[in-house]
Amino acid sequence: MGGSAQGGHSIADYVAGYTDLGRLRGFRCPCGFTTATWVLACPRCGGRNLADVDLSGRGEVVACSVQHVPSDEFLNEVPYAYVVVDLGEGGRITGWVAGVADPADLPLGTRVHFHPSYKPGVQFVRD
Amino acid sequence: MRETWIVGAATNRFGRMAESAREAAARVALEAIDRAGLTPKDIDHTFVSNAFGMAEHQGHLGPLLNTALGIPEVPSCTIESACSSSSAGLHEAFVHVAGGFADAVLVVGAEKLSHLDTLTATSYFATGADFPFETRNGATFPGLYATLASAYRNAFPLPPETLAQVAIKNHANAALNPHAHFQKEISLETYLNSPIVASPFRLYDCCPFSDGASAIVVAAKEFVRRPTSTPLVVAASVRTGSIVDMHDRPDLWGLPASRRAGELAFRAAGLTPKEIDFLEVHDCFTIAELLALEDLGFYPRGAAGAATRDGETARKGRLPVNPSGGLKAKGHPVSATGVAQVVEVFEQMNGTAGARAVARTETALTHNVGATGGSCSVHIFRRG
Repeated sequence: MGGSAQGGHSIADYVAGYTDLGRLRGFRCPCGFTTATWVLACPRCGGRNLADVDLSGRGEVVACSVQHVPSDEFLNEVPYAYVVVDLGEGGRITGWVAGVADPADLPLGTRVHFHPSYKPGVQFVRD
Repeated sequence: MRETWIVGAATNRFGRMAESAREAAARVALEAIDRAGLTPKDIDHTFVSNAFGMAEHQGHLGPLLNTALGIPEVPSCTIESACSSSSAGLHEAFVHVAGGFADAVLVVGAEKLSHLDTLTATSYFATGADFPFETRNGATFPGLYATLASAYRNAFPLPPETLAQVAIKNHANAALNPHAHFQKEISLETYLNSPIVASPFRLYDCCPFSDGASAIVVAAKEFVRRPTSTPLVVAASVRTGSIVDMHDRPDLWGLPASRRAGELAFRAAGLTPKEIDFLEVHDCFTIAELLALEDLGFYPRGAAGAATRDGETARKGRLPVNPSGGLKAKGHPVSATGVAQVVEVFEQMNGTAGARAVARTETALTHNVGATGGSCSVHIFRRG
């Protein structure tokens, strides 16, 4: 916690955070807007008083699509589910769940959490 | 503001081009200028779009195009706004002409991707999204629209055949369009037998990777004394933006940039959705056509699916949507798409749309989205 966005983490810090440190870094505005996306001002209210925060990585799947035709970094992971996760503390983040071939296996509302791994991107597993 | 017209329009057949985007761009540009009854020397400025020029190791297409047209001294620049690149070029042309900074402007979009393999093309398309925060977390371009479909269907349930009906309708229109990539109808059986690409999307929910080139000439009414075709009067030219990351937006069942562009465009034109005779909307995936119809105010949220199933949006329906076949079946050569939508309006309003002609052509709307809605263009036209 703490620190203004100007002095806050970079995109490289975000990637290193989930890759090497098991941290999901983000920004929280006093207006309530919370995001992992790198910004210098709040996309909702324009405010610059953003807190540099660690996100819990725990929440509920609110959108999901099973990918069968990947882009290059996920060539060896298909099929998998690309998910949007609504965090308990507010805000949404994206990531993927390995080994999902049928969307019925990961219905909306499923509880998931961030699972640090050596694989690309932010990986989630079911609670 | 000066009254601004579209006075010439041309496109090649979408699909697979043997020639480069550069060559195709020059050919359609000259055809559009000829059709306008003008010469290249009349052009004051060129806006060209070629978002994936890197696929051909070529940037800075504007001066190459103008040189090929015999007007190397005319200023040009490349406009990039993902899938809405050339409609962004049209907006810049409108600003120049309506504002009195130019009398005649050439707007061209061209793309060639067919020489790439699917993996490379999929990776290129994904660059329109947020690379570190979406793509690197597993999103593909179909995957992003598929998550919208996932959230939308959770909030507003659709029978599975509804998305199929969008594809079947647009293929039926494209079957009558000599410019279209896929000039064939598809059956529900064909749709259901196609593989899942990104659930719930099957192959036939997705637009193809197409090559293609399209051009229009935008000119001031007072400059074009005797138009050689029926001109399109630009009644509204609106561009909007929004948060790129879909998951950071307030909801996942529509595109905020489309909603705002629709509102602003109808206000600028002094029209309502009921007064639009036909439209070309950005149906890169089947769900996108339903979202567009709702975002633009043609149907309440959750109602566009039933209207599609009832045939209202068919070519002979109450509100023809994508009579060209849309991105879905006419094809989606990314940078050509926005201008190609206007070429369709031009042909419909000039009575040269042949077998795919719609009944009423006094007013039309075009809607073109950049990637997943980080940018959006809406144009409204009246027959001049």
